[in-house]
Amino acid sequence: MSEGHPRYDVVIGLEVHAQLCTESKLFSPAPVAYGEPANHCVHPICLGLPGVLPVLNARAVEFAILAGLATHCTVQLHSVFARKNYFYPDLPKGYQISQYEEPICTEGWIDVVVEPGAAPRRIRLTRIHMEEDAGKLIHEAGAAGSDGTRVDLNRAGVPLLEIVSEPDLRSPSEAAAYLRTLRGILRYIGVSDADLEKGHFRCDANVSLKPRGTAELGTRTELKNLNSFRFVEEAISAEIARQAELHDEGTPVQQATMAYDPHTSRTRVLRLKENADDYRYFPDPDLVPLAISAEQIETARASLPELADAKCARFQSQYALTAQDAEQLTESRPLADYFEAAVAAYGLAKPVANWLLRDVLQALGELELGIEAARLAPESLAALIRLVDAGSTNAKSARGLVKELVANGGDPAALVHERGLEALSDSGELEAAVEAVLGEHPDDAEKFRAGEKKVLNFLMGQVMRRTAGKADPKAVRELLARKLGA
Amino acid sequence: MARISRQEVEHVAALARLVLEESEAERAVGELEALLDYAALLESVDTEGVPPTSHVLALATPMRDDTASESLEPESALANAPEREGSAFVVPRVIDDEDAG
Amino acid sequence: MSAPPPLVGLSELRAELDAGRTSSAQLVDRALERAEALQPRLRSFIGLRGESARAEAEQADARRLRGDPRSALDGIPVAIKDNMVQRGEPTTCGSRILEGFVSPYSSTLVEKLEAAGAVIIGRTNMDEFAMGSSTEHSTLGASSNPWDVSRTAGGSSGGSAVAVAAGIVPAAFGSDTGGSIRQPASFCGVVGMKPTYGRVSRWGLVAFASSLDQIGVFARDARDAALLLELISGHDPRDSTSAPEPAPDLRASLDGDVSGLVLGVPREYFVSDGVDPEVLARVHAAIAELEAAGAKLREVSLPHTYTAVATYYLLATAEASSNLARYDGVRYGRRAEGAQSLGDMYVRSRTEGFGAEVKRRILLGTYVLSAGYYDAYYRKAQQVRTLLRRDFDEAFAGCDVIVTPTSPEVAFSLGSRTEDPLRMYLSDVYTVSCNLAGLPGVSLPCGFSDGMPVGLQLLGPPLEEGRLLRVADAFQRRTGFHSERPPELA
Ligand SMILES: [Mg+2]
Ligand SMILES: [Zn+2]
Repeated sequence: MSEGHPRYDVVIGLEVHAQLCTESKLFSPAPVAYGEPANHCVHPICLGLPGVLPVLNARAVEFAILAGLATHCTVQLHSVFARKNYFYPDLPKGYQISQYEEPICTEGWIDVVVEPGAAPRRIRLTRIHMEEDAGKLIHEAGAAGSDGTRVDLNRAGVPLLEIVSEPDLRSPSEAAAYLRTLRGILRYIGVSDADLEKGHFRCDANVSLKPRGTAELGTRTELKNLNSFRFVEEAISAEIARQAELHDEGTPVQQATMAYDPHTSRTRVLRLKENADDYRYFPDPDLVPLAISAEQIETARASLPELADAKCARFQSQYALTAQDAEQLTESRPLADYFEAAVAAYGLAKPVANWLLRDVLQALGELELGIEAARLAPESLAALIRLVDAGSTNAKSARGLVKELVANGGDPAALVHERGLEALSDSGELEAAVEAVLGEHPDDAEKFRAGEKKVLNFLMGQVMRRTAGKADPKAVRELLARKLGA
Repeated sequence: MARISRQEVEHVAALARLVLEESEAERAVGELEALLDYAALLESVDTEGVPPTSHVLALATPMRDDTASESLEPESALANAPEREGSAFVVPRVIDDEDAG
Repeated sequence: MSAPPPLVGLSELRAELDAGRTSSAQLVDRALERAEALQPRLRSFIGLRGESARAEAEQADARRLRGDPRSALDGIPVAIKDNMVQRGEPTTCGSRILEGFVSPYSSTLVEKLEAAGAVIIGRTNMDEFAMGSSTEHSTLGASSNPWDVSRTAGGSSGGSAVAVAAGIVPAAFGSDTGGSIRQPASFCGVVGMKPTYGRVSRWGLVAFASSLDQIGVFARDARDAALLLELISGHDPRDSTSAPEPAPDLRASLDGDVSGLVLGVPREYFVSDGVDPEVLARVHAAIAELEAAGAKLREVSLPHTYTAVATYYLLATAEASSNLARYDGVRYGRRAEGAQSLGDMYVRSRTEGFGAEVKRRILLGTYVLSAGYYDAYYRKAQQVRTLLRRDFDEAFAGCDVIVTPTSPEVAFSLGSRTEDPLRMYLSDVYTVSCNLAGLPGVSLPCGFSDGMPVGLQLLGPPLEEGRLLRVADAFQRRTGFHSERPPELA
């Protein structure tokens, strides 16, 4: 758990860029794709060719509205696209179409649980606005060995939400928890895959310190492009340490853009912000203001799914789950949906939660799959648990089949039969095994009869070994007890 | 009177990625000053409470459906490239730190 | 090379084609040969499409012989300004920075012309990125006025105005941001129309100032202008500022009847100050002619007229400074040789690629938008723009059409204004308000001063192009100014 600082109050604000999962770009019909060869997903609009004009993607607007509603923002009926002017080779028009003075969503909040079971912290959002992504620069030498930088505009124009928090976060761990919660919300409402590895969810952090208890804010620095939750925590911790040292020395902190180097675990100055950037924002004359109707907002509100925190609370009350289980089950919407489908098929919640959180998630982890990719249907998981309940196979054997079922699917009962994993509860084979074990260990049987009850576990283990684990432990216990006259 | 310094003109030129020769810079200061002096006549117009006009049209935002078209053929996209490598445009080496955005 | 005879109006050419007295191939040949023969004197074309135009003409002839022409424009040679892209063809905007650029896509205008079967014979000369009033700021050099080659053709669509005035083509297309169609039309003695903002798609028109730019037409008379405008108008989903209106039926309103129409004469446009008295006299005579035709006159007021030029230059240059940021030498266009760094490449490509007037406007526009000046200049100008629009709303409450001179003077001598940008800008005083308010405007020949054509400007409420053309047509039915031809080219 990474904490704030003993002598200084830490003030952190986060800016997240989340890529919206649309088919086409924000202002161009070019396809949105990942991993294509350079400049294979472009349209004259993406190249900023002379004479092109932007036309807004309706789905991106729907997604922005959903994101605003899910984070308790006010969705503005009138908002404005503005041009942010600067030169860079990844920015084909020499300006980015963004929103500036009048964003689509303003003043929201999300509740963030920093530690399981602890009361949530309410983190305020300043705004959410829509903007287009820039292209990608490739610095490594290319195949032809030129020493220039290559420019790929496949990503140029992809729709982003920029989500800006108030400086309400007080520690690196709060920052990471905020990001996890935010990402969960965006995924829940289905507007972003928020895949950090693919750059769908990128974070900049503004960090400043002030002596504990004082009111005046310190100079803040901006950490750019933190692309994993771990780096967010590490980078902010490193920056807190760097700033604390400067404060201790009495050296003023300079306003700067910082980069985090994970190899040295230190932050360094990328560039000083001597003059405020002069982006010459102005309303884009190629786009009329964005008008959203109250009906559109209400339609979006009605379509909003139950969000993670509400679902978590419901799971605890409706299914009598622990807070920890409920939180884990509601982390993603597909997992929560799977759980509910399996409960509906099985009838009881607790065993489903156990099987799902322990065995199914472990199998998915080993297979490097998400729950959506599991071939084991919720109904089949219920069937598998019922086979164990009925004593048709034992729990250990059933567990051993989970990974295979998750990977390949199939009927659990058929698989148990195919593998010869039926429990030996009623057969003579089990009785024979028990008698053989008692015959081999007469002294232990004697000890049991003399009152040393824990010897039973040893004898059970022997029976299980002899039956290659196929015996139902409950049946073995009962049979042993009967034979020993307990 | 708008008083523009040489330094300001050079700052603006730098923002626009232009350089001015010595003689041009002096001239540009004079020309910009004349134009801004003229534009100063707007100061006398009472615009209290007047909304700005960015667009003359009273339109609802036109939007398009989220359907992707085919990409431009890479050869068309790259046909005008001053320098290219494979299907990428090439620019003089960008040093990470000169990040503009 | 001696020039073949001029091509007359659209309707005459159509009639000749339909009667089989000529072919599209012959017309296109004539247009191309005339363009080349006059090029040394007029410099009206930046590029000609010889071979492809001839091939298209043959296809048009085949369609005509099959009895299957695409439109009234099928097989007719036309010209476009060099800022409207056509797939597979160069577009330079009269700038070095777009040298060698070949567009991979077509503008909506070009698509509509192609669909109509019109044969685009070439791209006309213009001030670099449409920034100018004289076509002097072009890599090609200035276009000359066919009425007096020592004088300007006007600008920025000078080449298109000249191409029609000199009888190279019966119709040409231009763009008008602050008068760039109407002023050269006035200087060259042809009809030039800027439609309502949003009437014609801007998709594929290289932007100068997006909130002011509008494509329009040059023609010999109001009837031809109506036909052309009908053809290129209409809603385009690729342009977010396109008016959601179908193409209007403009020819239906050309009945020669203006009785009862109220012509508003704005007091502020008829001050003697800075206006050639001969120009004023011709315009007054034209107004009297319309009155004789039954129109009523009413004095109206556009009190913020004195702010229009300043407002226009602040807003247009601000938008231009951003629109021209894409010319950076990365993806297309000119890149400076041997740049040592990225920064060096940007600065040298742009400094070498743009001409003096474009750089002047980029500097002004960048200044206007920069931190600390935005409110004083840009926002202020946008507010004044609102007042200018309200002036027109109020004026049109009392009249149907506003009549003014197009320009305070006739075509001036080449080279006489380039040293004084502010004086050049001030000559746009009658044309810029129309763009700021997004109104339709037309200039038509209404007489001569010093042997040079004088233009009458008609302004109307939004989407009332038909009303303007009705007045223009009525005037042309009663007068012969539009049929006068430049003497040495006749
Ligand atoms: Mg930002
Ligand atoms: Zn952003």
